[in-house]
Amino acid sequence: MGMHRAINLVLMLATLASAVALYAVKNDTRRLETRVAAQERALERARSDVAVLTAERAHLSRPERLEPLARLIGLAPIAPAQYMRLDRDGTR
Amino acid sequence: MSEIQSAPPMSQPPLPLQGEERHRSRLRRRSMVALLATLVCFAAIAGQLVRLAARAPPEIRVAMAEPLARTFARPDIVDRAGRLIAADVAVHSLYADPLLILDLDETLEKLGPTLPGLDTADLKKSLADQSRRFVWVARGLSPRQAQRVHDLGLPGLAFRTELKRAYPLGALAGHLIGTVNTDNKGLAGLERMLDETGRVEAVQGPGRVPPEPVRLSLDVGVQHALAEELKQASLRYSASGAAGLVLDANSGEVLAAVSLPQADPSRPADWLDPALADRLAGGTFELGSIFKALTVAQALESGSADLERVLDVRQPLTVGTYTIKDLHPQGRPLTVREVFLHSSNVGAGMLALEAGAERQRAFLGQFGLTEPMRWEAGPVATPQLPKNWGRIEAVTIGYGHGLALAPLQFAAGMAALVNGGARVTPTLMARSDDGGARLRVVSEATSAKLREIMRLNVTNPHGTGRRAEAEGYRVGGKTGTAEMPGRGGYQEKSVISSFVGAFPMDAPRYVVLVMLFEPRTGDTGGDHITAGLNAAPATARVVERIAPLLAVLPRRLDARM
Repeated sequence: MGMHRAINLVLMLATLASAVALYAVKNDTRRLETRVAAQERALERARSDVAVLTAERAHLSRPERLEPLARLIGLAPIAPAQYMRLDRDGTR
Repeated sequence: MSEIQSAPPMSQPPLPLQGEERHRSRLRRRSMVALLATLVCFAAIAGQLVRLAARAPPEIRVAMAEPLARTFARPDIVDRAGRLIAADVAVHSLYADPLLILDLDETLEKLGPTLPGLDTADLKKSLADQSRRFVWVARGLSPRQAQRVHDLGLPGLAFRTELKRAYPLGALAGHLIGTVNTDNKGLAGLERMLDETGRVEAVQGPGRVPPEPVRLSLDVGVQHALAEELKQASLRYSASGAAGLVLDANSGEVLAAVSLPQADPSRPADWLDPALADRLAGGTFELGSIFKALTVAQALESGSADLERVLDVRQPLTVGTYTIKDLHPQGRPLTVREVFLHSSNVGAGMLALEAGAERQRAFLGQFGLTEPMRWEAGPVATPQLPKNWGRIEAVTIGYGHGLALAPLQFAAGMAALVNGGARVTPTLMARSDDGGARLRVVSEATSAKLREIMRLNVTNPHGTGRRAEAEGYRVGGKTGTAEMPGRGGYQEKSVISSFVGAFPMDAPRYVVLVMLFEPRTGDTGGDHITAGLNAAPATARVVERIAPLLAVLPRRLDARM
């Protein structure tokens, strides 16, 4: 009789304890998930920023824009006369 | 209770106790059942807790965060050196739920100045329809615009992040890249091919890991240099349009392909405008004298002629009711080499006549010039063959008339003629090898002779291509001035003037094709519009500019030692 009551009590407490523990774990999981989601969003934003910046850089370095700028500072396509061999005679 | 009454006195355990015992056991059983039921309930709750904690279904979460976000993710397109040509960027698109809009007029009044270019009248009609729950207001807004709309705090409006194709190089290579619609689905060119070959992924909003980029054979630098030189040549010679191609003579990789005027990938409407059509792959042309390279190659290959064989071209060539004359008759018999140098129609006609229509067709067929072709930017315009390919047609095809080809396809044929005789299939994709074992279309010897006369055509003072010489880069090639068909026959003053060549001619690496449409003048001024005076010098300028980009060293260097 007394033993039964003790067992019941223990079981009851165990059930309650596990429920509380589960709730705590679940709560923890939820918090972690929120953090993961936030990190994922940050990653997505970063990725999207990288894509935009890469496109921007390609746009700014497009030859159509660079050519006039290069010519402005006196550059031009290389002419055959500008080549020189370095591995023979003393013309280096 | 009757049991109590009939119980014998004292000798036996008292009966009332017996009754109590039974009562108690019943009570215990009952409480046991209740306890069990409670335990089962708690266990069920605990089980459910474990289940929920263990796996929250992710689909539900995404669906709640992004109710409608679904867009198409396309791989980046880069050139052979990895320079970006096309990429997806995330943009904000504004939509409205008509049911949630409190004051339609106020909403539109505030949106109008914030988003210039918004068709408010049209939008008002759509938003007044309360049966709809989703209406696009503006797509592809910049982050700043989106922020401004957000700050208005209007109810019923919301954003959705979409992917939008960006083309940082503008119209450069536009014809090859093609275009996409507002949903980021490919409509034309390479973009369409990406859809057709399953490279495009439907995704829930942006932010996925980007897939491997598509690496093209194009070189952005060469593409730009070619486009610039063609633009200048168009201006200099008052041409209505121009086209140019740089092709790897061995692998068939297209390094640059330009058709002026160019189409802009960010403007899908450009693909509906016939004036902006791609002339390299999207149209066929009678190419004129540049075709004579194939005629001479066939004569050499069949053994019916070598370069020294003399043809009597003093008289016009008569086939049936047709008479073929030379523009500038030399008044003496010419060798096959001279026929090529002086671009004699009579001579080329005679060689074609000797081969005959059937063998001519078979020879061109080996190069793939009689069959429709597809490449990565879509179908190439189908070759226009004569309905009856008889003697007359053989002769006219011999000097490049009566058969219309997409210039891209023709250039690939020329590549086979100069590369030692291996068939070339043009491609837009970067290749790591040179295509492996390929079909031989002409012998090494024939190819070597073609290289010789093509180079001679530029170095010889009488050659039609002498103005194509680019110092040190050993250009060789053939000119062609083809009258364009118009109302009532060919138009003498309306021509396609072209030059097909290769460099360096001792071991050709690149085939170059330059075409000017309806040029009005040439280098010598006046109305001299033959290819030797405009397309040839334009080619020289192109080669001078692109050779350094392609790491082709000028010969001068080897000579000065």
